[in-house]
Amino acid sequence: MTQINFKQVITVFVVFIFSLIVAGCSSSAKTQFWGKTQPPKANVMRYVTGPEPESLDPHIPSGQPEARIFMALYDGLVEYDPRDQQPIPAIAESWETAPNLDEFIFHLRKNAKWSDGKPINANDFVYSFRRGFRPETLSRTASLGYFITYSEAFNGKQYFLQKDGKFVLMNDVAAEPHEAKPIEPFGAETEFRKFIKSPERVTLPNDPLKRSQAVEANPKLKEIFKFTAADLKNAPTLTAKIKSSGDDLTKFLAANLPPAALTCAENCTEAQKQSLADGLNKLLDTESLFAQAWFANFAAPENSKALADALAAENNKRAAANATIDEEIAGLDDDAKKAEKEKLKKKQIGKLFAANRFLLEETFPDEIVPTPLVLVKGEDIGIEAVDEFTVRITLRQSAPFFVGLLAHQFFRLVPEQSVEKHGRSWTRPQNIVTCGAFKLKTFKPYDVLILEKDLNYWDAENVKLDGMEFVAVEDQFTRLNLYKSGEVDAILNHSVPSSWIDEIKQFEDEYLNFPENATSYYSFNVRKPPFDNPKIRKAFSQALDRQTLSDSRKVTKPLFYYTPTGIFPDYDKTMEKIGEEVRAEKKITPDEWAKRNDFDPENARQLLTEAGFPVEKSGSGFSCPSFPADKVALTFNTNESNRQIAEFVQAQWKQNLGVQIPLKNMEFKTFLPMRNALLYDGMAQSLWSGDFMDPYTFLGLHYGFPNDGGSGFQDDKYDKMLDDANSELDPQKRYDMMARAEYYLFDKMPAMPLTINATNWIKKPYVKGLYPNPGTLHPWKFVYIERDPAKWDKNVKNIMTEKDARVEEQLAKLKSTMSQTPVNTE
Amino acid sequence: MTENTEPARGTSLWRDAWKRLLKNKLAVFGMIVLVLMVIAVAIGPAIIRWTTGFTYDFIPPTSDLVKSFPPSLEHPMGTDEQGRDLLARVLQGGRISLAVGLISTIVSLLIGVSYGATAGYLGGKIDNFMMRIVDIIYSIPYILIVIVLLSVFGGPNTFGWITWLSEKFGGAGNAGMSQIFLLFFALGIVSWLTMARVVRGQVLSLKNQDFVMAARATGVSTPAIIFRHLVPNTLGPVIVYATLTVPSVMLSEAFLSFLGIGVQPPYASWGSLCADGVKNLAIFPWQLIFPGVTMALTLFSLNFLGDGLRDALDPQTRKF
Amino acid sequence: MLSFIIRRLLLIIPMALLVITLTWALVRLAPGNFYDNEKNLPAAVVANIKEKYGLDKPWYEQYGIMLWNTVRGDFGSSVKNPGRTVNEMIATHLPFSATVGILAYLLALVIGLSAGIIAALKQNSAFDYGSMSLAMLGLSVPNFVLGPILILVFSLWLFWLPPARLSGFSGLILPVITLAGVYAAYIARLTRAGMLEVMRSDYIRTARAKGLNEKTVLLRHAIRGGLIPVVSFTGPALAALLAGTVVVEKVFAIPGLGNIFIQAVFNRDEPLILGIVAFLSILIMIFNLLVDISYAFLDPRIRYE
Repeated sequence: MTQINFKQVITVFVVFIFSLIVAGCSSSAKTQFWGKTQPPKANVMRYVTGPEPESLDPHIPSGQPEARIFMALYDGLVEYDPRDQQPIPAIAESWETAPNLDEFIFHLRKNAKWSDGKPINANDFVYSFRRGFRPETLSRTASLGYFITYSEAFNGKQYFLQKDGKFVLMNDVAAEPHEAKPIEPFGAETEFRKFIKSPERVTLPNDPLKRSQAVEANPKLKEIFKFTAADLKNAPTLTAKIKSSGDDLTKFLAANLPPAALTCAENCTEAQKQSLADGLNKLLDTESLFAQAWFANFAAPENSKALADALAAENNKRAAANATIDEEIAGLDDDAKKAEKEKLKKKQIGKLFAANRFLLEETFPDEIVPTPLVLVKGEDIGIEAVDEFTVRITLRQSAPFFVGLLAHQFFRLVPEQSVEKHGRSWTRPQNIVTCGAFKLKTFKPYDVLILEKDLNYWDAENVKLDGMEFVAVEDQFTRLNLYKSGEVDAILNHSVPSSWIDEIKQFEDEYLNFPENATSYYSFNVRKPPFDNPKIRKAFSQALDRQTLSDSRKVTKPLFYYTPTGIFPDYDKTMEKIGEEVRAEKKITPDEWAKRNDFDPENARQLLTEAGFPVEKSGSGFSCPSFPADKVALTFNTNESNRQIAEFVQAQWKQNLGVQIPLKNMEFKTFLPMRNALLYDGMAQSLWSGDFMDPYTFLGLHYGFPNDGGSGFQDDKYDKMLDDANSELDPQKRYDMMARAEYYLFDKMPAMPLTINATNWIKKPYVKGLYPNPGTLHPWKFVYIERDPAKWDKNVKNIMTEKDARVEEQLAKLKSTMSQTPVNTE
Repeated sequence: MTENTEPARGTSLWRDAWKRLLKNKLAVFGMIVLVLMVIAVAIGPAIIRWTTGFTYDFIPPTSDLVKSFPPSLEHPMGTDEQGRDLLARVLQGGRISLAVGLISTIVSLLIGVSYGATAGYLGGKIDNFMMRIVDIIYSIPYILIVIVLLSVFGGPNTFGWITWLSEKFGGAGNAGMSQIFLLFFALGIVSWLTMARVVRGQVLSLKNQDFVMAARATGVSTPAIIFRHLVPNTLGPVIVYATLTVPSVMLSEAFLSFLGIGVQPPYASWGSLCADGVKNLAIFPWQLIFPGVTMALTLFSLNFLGDGLRDALDPQTRKF
Repeated sequence: MLSFIIRRLLLIIPMALLVITLTWALVRLAPGNFYDNEKNLPAAVVANIKEKYGLDKPWYEQYGIMLWNTVRGDFGSSVKNPGRTVNEMIATHLPFSATVGILAYLLALVIGLSAGIIAALKQNSAFDYGSMSLAMLGLSVPNFVLGPILILVFSLWLFWLPPARLSGFSGLILPVITLAGVYAAYIARLTRAGMLEVMRSDYIRTARAKGLNEKTVLLRHAIRGGLIPVVSFTGPALAALLAGTVVVEKVFAIPGLGNIFIQAVFNRDEPLILGIVAFLSILIMIFNLLVDISYAFLDPRIRYE
């Protein structure tokens, strides 16, 4: 080989590198707009909606990408205001709210039509709501609607319970029964309203074991489940069967029932029957029943095999759990701790009286009357067509924010005519019927969804676009490329990676950075040491410089509590006011108060030391050798921005606490179930986008259990504070109570607040009527394409306050029907 | 054929090949680059740490430093978005990338060669059966295997030896490191298949030659025939193929990093650095150029070396 | 020969079933479910979902049902995109992959063959070293780097071609070039090596000795012999290309089979994963068989009983 050729190889290489460098450095001169800026030829808006939509059935998917598609395809009772996201009229022209905020009446407009021309009336809403909660629908967003009376029970296939032909009411089994309140009139009186407003019925879970546990938790309820003489419709046969001792179950019964209970023969007396019932009640209720593990080797009777197997499995599980506790007790020498464990064990053992009864019922169907359980039906949930154009919705509790929730996709209309005919395949292009401003034209899966204006839409004259294209693109950078090359007109929220923000921020008329109804936080696993100690949780929280974190993220703002500031202005003021009160009660100086969750490494080290992990000075930094850092981890799902935040926080903890927390990166599908089942050690990344415009959407994250907070936190006092707040009629007082709850939650610190997210997307300057509202949910009928470059968004100060005449006029017209029904506030 | 005559012949064969290799300038160039690269990734990070204090995972504590800076005297390759020194990361990434290539190649040598040789020599039904197993593993998308390995065994229930290894190298509780070892393992599992096919083909054509017949006639046991007589004779193609396996495994790792399931932070590999860099190509080109050029140069050298070795070991295809 | 082909064809069935079984086991081993989302689903809803998809049955029953469905070729509906059957999805998305793949392969053939032949004829010339170095570079630059560089230049600076999506012919150009790059490099190297070997073989020498002119020697003898390695490379390469190449489809947002397969894996969309794996494994096995058969035709020394 000659020298020349070798040089050529090197030359090729050098040319390649050089061209790359030239390519990289030749930054174009700053232009007014980013990339190619030319309105599309057709009057069609092209929007990148995120990954492929899961389904076009608004009841099924739970993601935001689909939400925006559903806003084009389907209409509901109300729609979001394009700017502040408050409810504005849609198919409901106006609505009324009951004085105690748990009932709503909607007056529908009479000219609303489906895309197939069929008129829309109140029954469509009743059908649609019932179908959403129907267990077979498998809706993943149904829990949003659980405020509606009995909807949760219907969705979970729960049962009502009857006793002597009457439904058992919550009040009947409550520890402290209260007087039934008279039903206040609200709208037309109907049979249905009488039912739905009558005192709440007891509902029991579908699963026999869970049902049994629910029964066990309430002594009054349990009493109802006890056998009576009347339950034994054929006592003599039952006695005979038990005495025959044919299988394991009857053998067990025969051996353990007192002889007096087994005297019933032909024509036996009520007393004999009663003694059999009593014997059974006693036998099935002994705590030792499970300890004897009689189900362990139990050959199940044919007709109750499934339940018997389930009971046996449950029994084995409990026995195993108890064995572990026994082991732990053996290893302890502290009596107090031992007693605590014993208590735990007792709780473990529990009784399953009702389940035992169900087993007997199933085994002896001819001898025992089954417990009268009535499956909750769709007709039982709190929605009613009062007349052809009036819908009434009844809630099980006061929820002042409920109307705002109704614009969510779950509450939008699905077509009975198509769903009932085609079943699951109703969303296929040839079967689909919609009711929104646009209807389906072409669907190219994993590529694009093309919609066209629906002329049957009741507000068609105000729909400004001829069509919409929802482009499905998974990759963030591909989205940016499509935008820059002028192939799309806007891309969805959170599409600009943080490294690109400095570049794109310069195009102020395109880049939209506004407060968002979403927060990021790290959940602590409060059920596992060391983070079961609030002091340690606080130490880690205070050791983080949130300001620097959000500065480096460029678009976020630091989050100090749980509700994002800047979204609910009145609530922000309330937080300040109540904060002052709380501070006074706690007798803390204003200085200290201000630093409560702000960056305070000194105090963080102090807290960690107090909690038993002394922080020492070592060299220029700190070290905390006793902290079990290798036993915990900060877990997050694979995502560029999550990763960068985690790396930053990790570095901060190392610098300020001397603790090196390992990072654990997981693929999303692995991460979620792990976090939800609290299988992580230490901390897990969480992000929450509010479902509706009320602080409760954030505070409710830590309400009850299981909840969506991801931390395993449960606190009865906190739950009660929120319940009380939500039944408060006066909005300001309600906010006061919620703010107090938030400060209470803060002291418990189940999660460590990180950042308030911000909208982070771009749109071309010729796209008008598209606003960065807190949820970036866009009612598409307000959007239009401005062809006159003079009217494009140029040097707009704040797009949210800039009034666009066309949009304003349209909004005013819509809102004019919204009769300001006075809420009764005497 | 006795034990003491064979080495002498062998040595001269190898020496011949070595001479031929040295005449090939591109191969020599590749070898030099590789040696330099190995030295750089071995001692480079320590030097950087000693001179400037930067490490591959050092994120500056002040927010105005947490961004991507272009190359400067302080950071010869610039920094990434987190403000980490890119040179340190490229060198650390080199360790992982080269290790991925090397370990998978060793796996493919150990498993692939013996598997292929056995199948080829035994022939018949056994051969058929063994090669169908290879086909089956071939047909399972390896991304599934990787995901399952990383997620099922990446958690607390990982293999004991992986925990042991990652603690040895990365310190206790180091999840990122144990994931890297799983990655080695996962890539190793799929990398031996082609090697097995190549060796089997070689053995098929060798097994009826005289020296094998002779060995069989003198009563040498089957394993001895396979490993003492057949395998040494396939070494030529095996070495060539092994040099070519390194780049292909490095590219596979880069592909996994591109999908976001490869090497996990704060660690990096050339593949993951390229995958990160390519996203910011238009604004921070140095994030792609430096790791990209380093990686391409290495792959380039490996390919040249592989070519050179093929020419050197197989005089038939020698240029005339 | 015929019986060999029939036996191998019959063998594909149990092998495909084994592949499916292993894949199924892998999917089941991987943590997570298709219905997991940001929000915690109420236990009752999860129970409903499990019941609907038969996930509450014992695993061996589920396995049996899965296997029976596979044998019947009915993989049911995708669980992530309910309402679309797996078979229908494969039929919709395969053409995208196939179009890009076949075009890329044709392009690679044209470039690779001509570069390889010229390089072999003008061995050790500037062209030879230049093109072979370029080919080497092609093999050393990953697809996911080449694609974005092309996009940057042709879509974002020059605005000539769309950066993603197969909207018409212009959308095909960049992905086809990106995909063709590596294959052209491979083919060029194979062709050059094959040609060189053939050129010094006895029969070419004989042909030359017979006094045939250089053109005839080249076209009638050398090229045919030189192509053998390219042909055997074509089998597996085409199977892979038909099935879609994940990287290029991802970079250019092409709704091909590779792209939806990766998403199915991340979504744990079991029926879709199984359907695609079954389809692909059969495809790969058939192509492997074709390669084996073609060996028999190309090289008379190999014989199958």
